[in-house]
Amino acid sequence: MLEEIKSLRKAPEEEYYVPGHRTCAGCGPALQYRLVAKAAGPNTIFLGPTGCMYVANTSYGCGPWAVPWIHTQITNGGAVASGIEAAYKAIIRKKKTDAEFPNIIVMAGDGGSSDIGLQALSAAFYRGHNILFIAYDNESYANTGIQTSPTTPYGAWTTFSPAGPVIPEGKKLMPKDLPKMMAHGHPELKYLATASLSYPLDLMNKVRKGLNAEGPAFLYIHAPCPKGWSFPADKTIEMGKLAVETGMFQLYELHEGQYKLTYQPKEIKPVEEYIKLQGRFSHLQPEHIQKLQQFANGRLKEVGIEVSVPAQ
Amino acid sequence: MGVVKRISGCVATATAVKLADVDVICSYPIRPYTGIMSELARMVADGELDAEFVYGEGEHGQLSVVYGASASGARTFTGSSGVGVTYAMEVYSPISGERLPVQMAIADRTLDPPGDFGSEHTDALCCRDQGWIQGWAATPQEALDMTLMYYRIGEDPRVLLPQYACQDGYFVSHILGEVDIPEAAKVKEFLPPYKNHHVLDVRTPQIIGAQMEPKMGPGMQYQRYQAIEGSRKVIEEVHDEFGRLFGRKYNPWVEEFMTDDAEVALFIQGGHAETAKTVVRRLRNLGEKVGLVRLRTFRPFPTQQVRDALSKFKVVGTVDNSVNFGISGAAGVLLTEARTAMYGMGDKIPTVGFVAGLGGEMITHDEFYKMFMKLKEIAKAGKADKENYWLPFEL
Ligand SMILES: Cc1ncc(C[n+]2csc(CCOP(=O)(O)OP(=O)(O)O)c2C)c(N)n1
Ligand code: SF4
Ligand SMILES: [Mg+2]
Repeated sequence: MLEEIKSLRKAPEEEYYVPGHRTCAGCGPALQYRLVAKAAGPNTIFLGPTGCMYVANTSYGCGPWAVPWIHTQITNGGAVASGIEAAYKAIIRKKKTDAEFPNIIVMAGDGGSSDIGLQALSAAFYRGHNILFIAYDNESYANTGIQTSPTTPYGAWTTFSPAGPVIPEGKKLMPKDLPKMMAHGHPELKYLATASLSYPLDLMNKVRKGLNAEGPAFLYIHAPCPKGWSFPADKTIEMGKLAVETGMFQLYELHEGQYKLTYQPKEIKPVEEYIKLQGRFSHLQPEHIQKLQQFANGRLKEVGIEVSVPAQ
Repeated sequence: MGVVKRISGCVATATAVKLADVDVICSYPIRPYTGIMSELARMVADGELDAEFVYGEGEHGQLSVVYGASASGARTFTGSSGVGVTYAMEVYSPISGERLPVQMAIADRTLDPPGDFGSEHTDALCCRDQGWIQGWAATPQEALDMTLMYYRIGEDPRVLLPQYACQDGYFVSHILGEVDIPEAAKVKEFLPPYKNHHVLDVRTPQIIGAQMEPKMGPGMQYQRYQAIEGSRKVIEEVHDEFGRLFGRKYNPWVEEFMTDDAEVALFIQGGHAETAKTVVRRLRNLGEKVGLVRLRTFRPFPTQQVRDALSKFKVVGTVDNSVNFGISGAAGVLLTEARTAMYGMGDKIPTVGFVAGLGGEMITHDEFYKMFMKLKEIAKAGKADKENYWLPFEL
């Protein structure tokens, strides 16, 4: 059992995601990775589906993990994790190893979880493997040079959803809601939560709860990407906070089928305060911003937050 | 002593998997290989085999599950047929690239179209160059023996490569044959537990599958090339030892059937060879100098052994039970591989390709007879009028 971390000061000093990677300055996914590894500790195996947290982290003979790590295809993080779990179950039972059962953590991007890796993810949860699947959401296919993924917000510029005279808003679709998809329909699911790198204590404790659960646990972590979203590298934490404070991202856990908020902003700010700091939204007209406001209000309502910012 | 039973190729393979004490199995249904998995599921349910039986979400998932399991130190088994084999394509190279000796049984089936359940080697041949050991069993007995030998070869520290253990769908997978099932204790002696030092274990942290820089690519690929080339020696050793322990001695590369003094011969792989043998025997009774060479190991391709076997004939006909549209020679890969092997000799032996049994059709006695007659005709004329014949339309 991993104990609750009572305060940031009491968080373990040991690091298991250490310097030696080549992510962009201010990379949100790298910052949350460090917190996840710290919370999980040394009895951990990480899996890295193709994406920034594979490509920017590894070069041959060099990677930032002090624990075992294995690459998976972008398509199959959930399936490879299932295999590792099944193997450990079998070889421990058959006394072919004296190792302890490890924490098995998939660190998948939004593309590798909500799109091309969705089948493998869902199957692993259906089968009930004892793993923690983390989807770090940087809201695009970042590693291929910022293309729209199912979780890219409405109105965001990407290289596949550029804004132009015919399509003034850039991305026209509303994003997929992956945690809600995972929350319902997987009877073996033992823990599910969302987290943000800007709320590190909450994030680390959710990692521990997920690992303590005896079965599949899903954690969806919001991780701003300075390169893809076009904001200065020193604003990553602020961006994560603003996403939560404007309701663009909500922090919750699933408890017996109900969403339980783990952090509720005192006052919900208009989404404009969040998007005006990001170059990917700079082309938006007021009517597009209104649509984003409606989107945030809708998502807030779904998890029981009273909406205070009107949307026309 | 082992026991002799009449079982199908599917049951023979499953029996070998049980004898190999496999730890993780990943399934997905597709005919005809399904028979292997349902037999394994039964063994697990009945307590005959202690293994994790994981329901794959598809073939891509199956190969991914065994990738993870093998990387954690478990002995693994999976399998497929037809479009299932090609659906998993992405994962074959990572498995051999990480040098994980997983085993996959392939009971051949056509791709779509025609979408029928018939056997065709096309499925397994689509993934032939991915760094896996590969070969075809022609009988249920050979299917069992191959499964055991392949684990031993693939897990050898000098090899560490995955294996496709192939058998023709139905013609081998579903036809009963007499199978000598070895004793578990003897198999244990032949096949020691899987040990790989390159595994996911928190006590010895390793990074598996880090991204390469282009300048590291040549070295990485060269190592995989050396592994498959180096496996040749191990394949021979393992077949020798298997023969000594179990009394069944196979030539690891090619089986020659009535080739002494033969003037023309067919070059073939898989279960159709058994039908062809009957025709060879009958023609021999009639005084015809015909023979047959059956390829047993397709990857690594035994260039020298094929050259030695085929260069004694006046004419060689290859039998391709697969489609390779647009390939040089316009027949199939056995023709191109045989020609490549023989070209090294600078020999002037005519080679013709027969494409037969597509869509899972039987290759009949009559068809094999026609092939031999065509070869005789070419031998007499000294050259072929055409380099390939698609049966039944062109012969
Ligand atoms: C089968 C396959 N298709 C496409 C790619 C190309 N690809 C490499 S990284 C990547 C982006 C992954 O996006 P995401 O999962 O969101 O992770 P991120 O890069 O944003 O961290 C893609 C599409 C691939 N590696 N494999
Ligand atoms: S593109 Fe974004 S996610 Fe990728 S390394 Fe840079 S900041 Fe991190
Ligand atoms: Mg992403």
